[in-house]
Amino acid sequence: MELNVNGKTLPVEVDPNTPLLWVLREQLALTGTKFGCGVAACGACTVHVNGVAVRSCSYPVSFAAGKRITTIEGLSSDRSHPLQRAWIVEQVPQCGYCQSGMLMSAAALLAVHPHPTDAQVDAAITNICRCGTYPRVRRAIHRAARGG
Amino acid sequence: MTVSENDGTGASERTRSTGKVDLGRRTLLKASLSVGGVLMLGFTLPAKTASLLGAATPSPSEGEVAVTAWVRITADNQVTLIVSQAEIGQGISTTLPAILADELGADWSRVKLVTAPFSSTATAYRNPQRNWMFTGNSESVESFYELMRKTGAAAREMLTRAAAARWGVDADACRAEESVVIHPASGRRLTFGDVAGDAARLSPPEKPTLKAARDLKLIGKSLPKVDVPSKVDGSAVFGIDFRVPGMLVAAIRTPPTIGGTIKSFDDTAVRGAPGVRGVVPVLNGVAVIADTYWQARTALAAAHFDFDAGPNADLDTAALRAAYRKALEDGPWATPVNQGDAAAPLRGAVHVIRQDYENPFAAHATMEPMNCTALVTADRCEIWAPTQGQELAFVALKAVLGLRDDQITVNRTPYIGGGFGRRLLPDFVIQAALVSKAVGKPVKLIWDREEDMRHDWYRPATMLRLTASLGADGLPAALAARVVSPTILLPVFPPIATMLKEQGFDPSAMEGMMETPYDLPNRRVDFHLLTIPIPTSVMRTTGYGPNIFALESFIDELAHSVRMDPYRYRRRLLRKNPRALAVLDRAAALGGWGKPLPKGQGRGIAFADAFGTLLAQVIEVQVENRDVRVKHITSVVDCGRVLDPGIATNNIEGGAIFGLAYCKAEVTFKGGRAEQENLNRYELPYLAETPQFRTEFIAGAEQLGGVGEVSPVTVPPALANAIFTATGERIRSMPISRHGLRFA
Repeated sequence: MELNVNGKTLPVEVDPNTPLLWVLREQLALTGTKFGCGVAACGACTVHVNGVAVRSCSYPVSFAAGKRITTIEGLSSDRSHPLQRAWIVEQVPQCGYCQSGMLMSAAALLAVHPHPTDAQVDAAITNICRCGTYPRVRRAIHRAARGG
Repeated sequence: MTVSENDGTGASERTRSTGKVDLGRRTLLKASLSVGGVLMLGFTLPAKTASLLGAATPSPSEGEVAVTAWVRITADNQVTLIVSQAEIGQGISTTLPAILADELGADWSRVKLVTAPFSSTATAYRNPQRNWMFTGNSESVESFYELMRKTGAAAREMLTRAAAARWGVDADACRAEESVVIHPASGRRLTFGDVAGDAARLSPPEKPTLKAARDLKLIGKSLPKVDVPSKVDGSAVFGIDFRVPGMLVAAIRTPPTIGGTIKSFDDTAVRGAPGVRGVVPVLNGVAVIADTYWQARTALAAAHFDFDAGPNADLDTAALRAAYRKALEDGPWATPVNQGDAAAPLRGAVHVIRQDYENPFAAHATMEPMNCTALVTADRCEIWAPTQGQELAFVALKAVLGLRDDQITVNRTPYIGGGFGRRLLPDFVIQAALVSKAVGKPVKLIWDREEDMRHDWYRPATMLRLTASLGADGLPAALAARVVSPTILLPVFPPIATMLKEQGFDPSAMEGMMETPYDLPNRRVDFHLLTIPIPTSVMRTTGYGPNIFALESFIDELAHSVRMDPYRYRRRLLRKNPRALAVLDRAAALGGWGKPLPKGQGRGIAFADAFGTLLAQVIEVQVENRDVRVKHITSVVDCGRVLDPGIATNNIEGGAIFGLAYCKAEVTFKGGRAEQENLNRYELPYLAETPQFRTEFIAGAEQLGGVGEVSPVTVPPALANAIFTATGERIRSMPISRHGLRFA
């Protein structure tokens, strides 16, 4: 099958039931998207399919055929996405493992609510961060929404 | 303190030209509040920072010269520093190399950082106080600070002398800065790269001269962390992402019950499955090796296992609690603390208070599940793992594989998805090594989340009984404590076995009880080392967390029993400890202690002296219909010198959320196995539940205290104390769900 990932059309040969997460990580060597739970509970695997946040550990790759897939690697080529810039200014990550998924959830939120309220942030960002970076995640989202 | 923000261009230009980072005053480490009550730290980010890259080779690469074991320099002046400690989110891969770079006079914006291996020829990176290579116990900064300064200074002196020799001038007339040696009198310059070869031939000075405080540019500042850039663009390679050429990937299943075994295993469906390269029994489990993890995992799921539940088939939380209760009543006891005369006041006292407290089992639940990449042949073992315990892994590999010291190398991946003490243990490393050995190829072994949660080395449940007799002044005249706990230290520090056997107490499980900051001259602590089949080990806060939950809840109960304000009560108990008073008073002031709150809202306070740091925390909650909303957490910290305020604040605030997790989730057992096998059952705090934070530091003394695990210590008791104030309901165990409460 062919997958449209980060703007490129890529051929993959894989069982269609394989979760998108593992196709990205293994067939396409895009390891920025992480495995945390495998049951869509943690959000570390969050990517965009047609601009909508999806937990790729529980999303068969066959569903992604013909759709635009965006991973953390596709947010920008040089850390220039407003969220990435905000994440750096606010020094958000600690261990960093949840952060790809966190950024993708935040990007999906801003696409729908460019100036989200705290309540909208609460509702949209349900990714789990064991290190507790949440206060800085919130600040960084607001910073990005303000334009840096 | 002024708040300055990175404008993306101008600020960075100014920074580069002056070499200085403008961060305001260094001695006053108070962080100011913005209008919204949210912490603001002032720092200007340089455009470039040192970067955390890969794992170091045991020796310098082609073209690199080693000037001491920690500094490698190329002819074109690329300075690479070795990072000894595991970066698990605590920021240590920024702070320790920055100290070294500061003394060295390297251009921090161009420094590359690589992680230290452990092997028979690479032992220079051990913790100098313990002579053992590991990361944990909040002691990296305290243990390595002197060494980093001395090493940086030594390398600086060697490079300076080498340049001075070339010029025929006095070394004292030269200066090293921004990776260049300068002779100001003549304006001559040589880069570090120009003189590294010569420098490496000099003997390192025994007592290098350290820089004066005013000449340090990095220490004490909030530096941009070296690992942040690659953590925002997906390029950070964690253990689970690691690859070596020719590598296969393995999934593993071990019996789900504690102490269970495999009676039989039918791999007919497995062997023919797509991509499968092998099926290997490993210790008590079976690994399937394939081209990809998904293939391995899918094939493994198709296997049929017949497990024998083993000797703990009936083990459940009720049986465990009964065992703990029995020990709490009957002992027997070791008595590691017996000061003054705790018994006499209790005998004659009018006012005796006794309460029992309980801490639940907790799972580390690092976001990255356990994994390890191994390459094992007949005469060589090399592993790459997100590990906190390189030397323990080395020792364990040697024992299991029967190889010589010089045949084993333990590499640490530079990025690790959380540690919290779990990654000190070598179990997953041994498994990976045995799988690689069996198939004769490099193998990356990954645990799925279920395997990870079933085979954790849990923070153990503990039970405590605290008894105090109150004098006429309402203060405790005597305090007696009983602590029932399994070992936590033995799995990560095997030499403790003798002490456990002969003295009957685990020093880590006694933390927070051995000493107290409070004025309690008559004090006795009895400890029962409980034996249970569940694997237990250290977890962030180690013994301090469970013990101080009990102690700080109890202090509150004592205060309330004599109708004294809990903050004022603690003031009395800390009256001989001015540093502690300063911390407590500031936390009360900053946390709004005493200001009236509406019905259903309350504040709780807790104090701890843990990991060399004094911490007071005020938590404010609103409780409505069993929903607990944590509104504010105020923390005031005296960890001595704060080497990096930004990193320290991260540790305190993130740590507080880790502390909330101790109040939200627990591991229970049924049928000999953990009931919570994934993160949908072991529920961790969400962003929506996060309170506002106020965090301040007081540099009360010169010594360095740890900040990595002190904040989660005070959260459970401060929360319990706040819930009491808000509702009149006293909870003596966590999580709050045991009492029909939930976080909102």
